[in-house]
Amino acid sequence: MTTAPIETATPIIELRNVSRWYGNVVAVNDISFSLGPGVTGLLGPNGAGKSTLLHMMSGLLRPSAGAVRLLGRAAWGDPSIYRSIGLVPEREAVPAHLSGLEFAVLSARLQRLPNPAAAAARAIETVDLVDAQDRAIGTYSKGMRQRAKIAAALVHEPSVLLLDEPFNGMDPRQRLHMIELLRTMAAEGRTILFSSHILEEVERLAQNVLVIHAGRLAASGDFREIRRLMTDRLHMFTVRSSDDRALGAALVGNVAVFGVELADGLMTVRSSDFAAFTRAVPRIARDLGVTLFELRPTDESLESVFGYLVGR
Amino acid sequence: MIWTIARAAERGLLGRRRTILMVAVAAIPVLIAAIVRASAETSDAVPLTAGLLDGLVVRTVLPLVALVLGTAVLGSDLEDGTAVYVLVKPIERWRIVVATYLVAALPTAGLMGLVTLAAGLVVGGGRGAEGVAVAFAAGVAVGSLVYVAVFLALSVVTGRALIVGLGYVLLWEGLLGGLLEGTAVLSIRQYVLAIAKALAGRDGDAITVTFTFGGAVAIALSALLLVGAMALGTRRLARFEVRGD
Repeated sequence: MTTAPIETATPIIELRNVSRWYGNVVAVNDISFSLGPGVTGLLGPNGAGKSTLLHMMSGLLRPSAGAVRLLGRAAWGDPSIYRSIGLVPEREAVPAHLSGLEFAVLSARLQRLPNPAAAAARAIETVDLVDAQDRAIGTYSKGMRQRAKIAAALVHEPSVLLLDEPFNGMDPRQRLHMIELLRTMAAEGRTILFSSHILEEVERLAQNVLVIHAGRLAASGDFREIRRLMTDRLHMFTVRSSDDRALGAALVGNVAVFGVELADGLMTVRSSDFAAFTRAVPRIARDLGVTLFELRPTDESLESVFGYLVGR
Repeated sequence: MIWTIARAAERGLLGRRRTILMVAVAAIPVLIAAIVRASAETSDAVPLTAGLLDGLVVRTVLPLVALVLGTAVLGSDLEDGTAVYVLVKPIERWRIVVATYLVAALPTAGLMGLVTLAAGLVVGGGRGAEGVAVAFAAGVAVGSLVYVAVFLALSVVTGRALIVGLGYVLLWEGLLGGLLEGTAVLSIRQYVLAIAKALAGRDGDAITVTFTFGGAVAIALSALLLVGAMALGTRRLARFEVRGD
């Protein structure tokens, strides 16, 4: 699937022909894209290369080929970039002997912040971990550990936030809180890239996605736009009107319509041309004197798009 | 900054069970020294003390304690992934290496120096072997600093630092050291013995060394190896890569 990459006038994160291999195994294969402020979801099946990509972006892994640049500087080999980056790794390992607050204070000190205690307290409050802040992280649930990691990544208020499966282990309330937090941070002008295998969350949080499959960039951009560019896949719509049978019969004659099905009082239409079909339906309904109640694409969800892209 | 990293590393290293175990292991020479004193003649205190400290401390306990603490202080964090939280901070890599080195090296040197002195005094104290005990304690303290630097660097270079370090102690210093005298040039054990021999004065005759260049050269080579190991550790940490999926 070829789509226009996410390009921005002033890229905060920029990858140019980036590959990474381990011996004979290619983990990431010739990937290029640019990201600006806002939230972008990084999607892909397990082993697709998402973590490898995030590690290269966070300077923890050297690309075998190509260039990874953050804020105009090479990500690899320059620790000073970490003043502007916050990283939440997927790996669960955290210093179990520290409390959540101590972990955040340590991060603030290592960032050389002028008031580490105040910065840490703010970060802990932001991730809603105040009640458990003095307990050792070793006693935390998976979701609490995740929030402690996020607090440590946020403590210096970075302009770029890279999160590898940040919602892992969080309960629904915590997930909502985290989604809201990331949205707010994106609205403040930060660049946020997060990987997730939970498509519903990606759909809730990010319209822009990067889809990685078998180490390659399968698609990038607004996932609804990506779906519309998939001309080899028929578009599915549900249509509700005052006379479904009459409208259905008329639609069959339209060149953009591939098939019409009436079942259980619901009309489903398959079309090969999204734009032509959505323009034609209201006109046909008006000509027939039929009132159109609903015209809804049913396979524009991120799940459908992802399924088509990775061939599931 | 070094202090902040060291505090965090210290809590991680010294709070662990293996450190308590190492303190117990380090105490063994003192117990054995007490048993030896009870059964040995007074007249041969100097060679007896030198032999006990050489065989028990320099050849066995010192490399073992330094190996465990030296490879654990940074290596275990690199291995389990917790080091990432320090690596993704705007900190020069040499600071991380120096801070973690100090956390492992100073307690190792202090502990092993004290244990050597105590074991030496228990077996030879009041019998004219005090000088040998002090000389060994100084040599062991220097050796601790070098061993820990080498093992820390190894832990950054390889995930199998324990095995490689054990190979260095058993094969290079032990087996090859007994067969080929030239290996003494790169043997921390021989540096320790050469320093102890130089400091012990006349009693140094009781210390058998294959390193023939004297105490001053041993100290110089120790310093060189320590600095080299730290430089290697820094260089490799700067290129340390975290694997993805």
